[in-house]
Amino acid sequence: MKKLAYLLQSKQVSSIELVEKYLAQIEASEKKLNALITVDKKGALQAAREADQRWKKGENRSPWDGIPIVLKDNISTRGMRTTCASKILADYVPLYDASVVTLLRKQGLPILGKANLDEFAMGSSTEYSSFGVTVNPFDGNRVAGGSSGGSAAAVAAGETPWALGTDTGGSIRQPAAFCGVVGLKPTYGRVSRYGVVALAPSLDQVGPLAKTVEDAAILFSILAGTDPKDATSANAQEFNVPNWDDALIKGLKIGIPKEFFGEGLHPEVEEAVRRALQILEEEGALLVPLSLSTNVYAIDTYLTIVTAEASSSLARYDGVRYGQRKEGADSNTMFAKTRGEGFGAEVKRRIMLGTYVLGAGHYEDFYEQAQKVRTLIKDDLQSAWEKADLIITPTTPTTAFKIGEKRNPLEMYLSDLYTAIANLGGIPALSLPCGKDSRSLPIGLQIMANHFQEELMFQAAYFLEKKLLGRA
Amino acid sequence: MIDREEVIRIAALARLDLSEEEIEKYQRDLTDFLTACAQLKKVDVSQLRATSHAVTIKPRLRQDRVGPSLKQTDVLSGGADVQDGFFRVPRIVEGQG
Repeated sequence: MKKLAYLLQSKQVSSIELVEKYLAQIEASEKKLNALITVDKKGALQAAREADQRWKKGENRSPWDGIPIVLKDNISTRGMRTTCASKILADYVPLYDASVVTLLRKQGLPILGKANLDEFAMGSSTEYSSFGVTVNPFDGNRVAGGSSGGSAAAVAAGETPWALGTDTGGSIRQPAAFCGVVGLKPTYGRVSRYGVVALAPSLDQVGPLAKTVEDAAILFSILAGTDPKDATSANAQEFNVPNWDDALIKGLKIGIPKEFFGEGLHPEVEEAVRRALQILEEEGALLVPLSLSTNVYAIDTYLTIVTAEASSSLARYDGVRYGQRKEGADSNTMFAKTRGEGFGAEVKRRIMLGTYVLGAGHYEDFYEQAQKVRTLIKDDLQSAWEKADLIITPTTPTTAFKIGEKRNPLEMYLSDLYTAIANLGGIPALSLPCGKDSRSLPIGLQIMANHFQEELMFQAAYFLEKKLLGRA
Repeated sequence: MIDREEVIRIAALARLDLSEEEIEKYQRDLTDFLTACAQLKKVDVSQLRATSHAVTIKPRLRQDRVGPSLKQTDVLSGGADVQDGFFRVPRIVEGQG
């Protein structure tokens, strides 16, 4: 991104030329990929023209003024439809921008379009999108991952230099791993959720996807900070891109939780991650074996909490204030028909589960129990930070799976086996490409850190990226 | 196995109109899910408090000042049925009418 910024600054390239280049790539690859739900050619070119004017007068808003971006289609954009990949919001046009979109516009970033996702971000493959599946750029028979599959595939295919996704249980990191790009789920509260369509408000976070660690760090530096419109946003937690310093690796304690290297992990994924760990060790990092034994409960805890919160978050789609309506004789019939026809199968499944676990007689047994187990998981993570500065694991047990391969919902939920713990604990986690398997599919490595320790995580990721690229 | 009536009751609470096929499907899915989550019930949590948010954030209050807001016509523009500055819905209260 620094190179693009330099080209813009030295007038060797204009924003219009950049946007046209990405629009041409979108045109070329979209038929195959289906990464985008909406392409806003006119809006992007207009924003680029304005950026060029600013550069001409020396009034550029930031070094990134005129470098375009793609947003996941559950992030509200004023005047540009925001579908959440759902039939119920197929024609919904927000009246306001999400706070993260306001931040991007302030920096002058033209918006190329909106990326595909699993409906309301519920899924791990974009197969649950009402707008069709997004295909993995590395293999036309495989998924791009999810739920931010469109964002990850668009970055990987060069349709955009970077993108925003959202992550509730792994929805940035898993598709980043499957598509060979960098993806960050920030600390809970570090990035505003205002205007981001809620799935599970206590777990959701917005984050960057990009080709390189530095680009992800730059985009994160634009996003991070307090937002008065989001009561859960953290105070005074801006982020500045650090000076990269390899010397930090020496003596760094890297926790290796044994539960993330056990049964179900594909040997090729394990080999790639262990190779990366060895690189860190050669540079003087200390590998610390540890245990996160509560991860065995992570998926069930996550599912209980996410379905409960989703059933509440999605109560607002009732055919009254926005979205589609199916008529009925009385209001309850109208609500039920609107929702029954407007929501897809996975969304209805999660609303049903969530309504059940919150219901009278089940609340204590399921929802409250899961919240208490969440405390156990959180404490387990906290005690890990007494032994380690960072934790490294594979991002996913396998590389990208085939379209249609996971028909059982419970099997699909296991895609988040290594990622959901970070959301439950509210900690930051990043996925970094660390090699390819024998089918040439990308493998992702996950770095986790304690709350608000993104900088250290980025330092380790930057170092590893450099070494891995050097070796490739 | 969750019984059929339970599924119908939950669907009514969730305001979801389900087909016969869907009722059967969610009967199976709910049962599978609850079976899978059964291990959670065995965890001893007697000494633990519930976590609803993982990061402790002190509630932050805003100044109570009037700021810019959306226009009424804009807010109503997304409604499926709008009349005289209101969203219109089918009858809610039973009775004469």
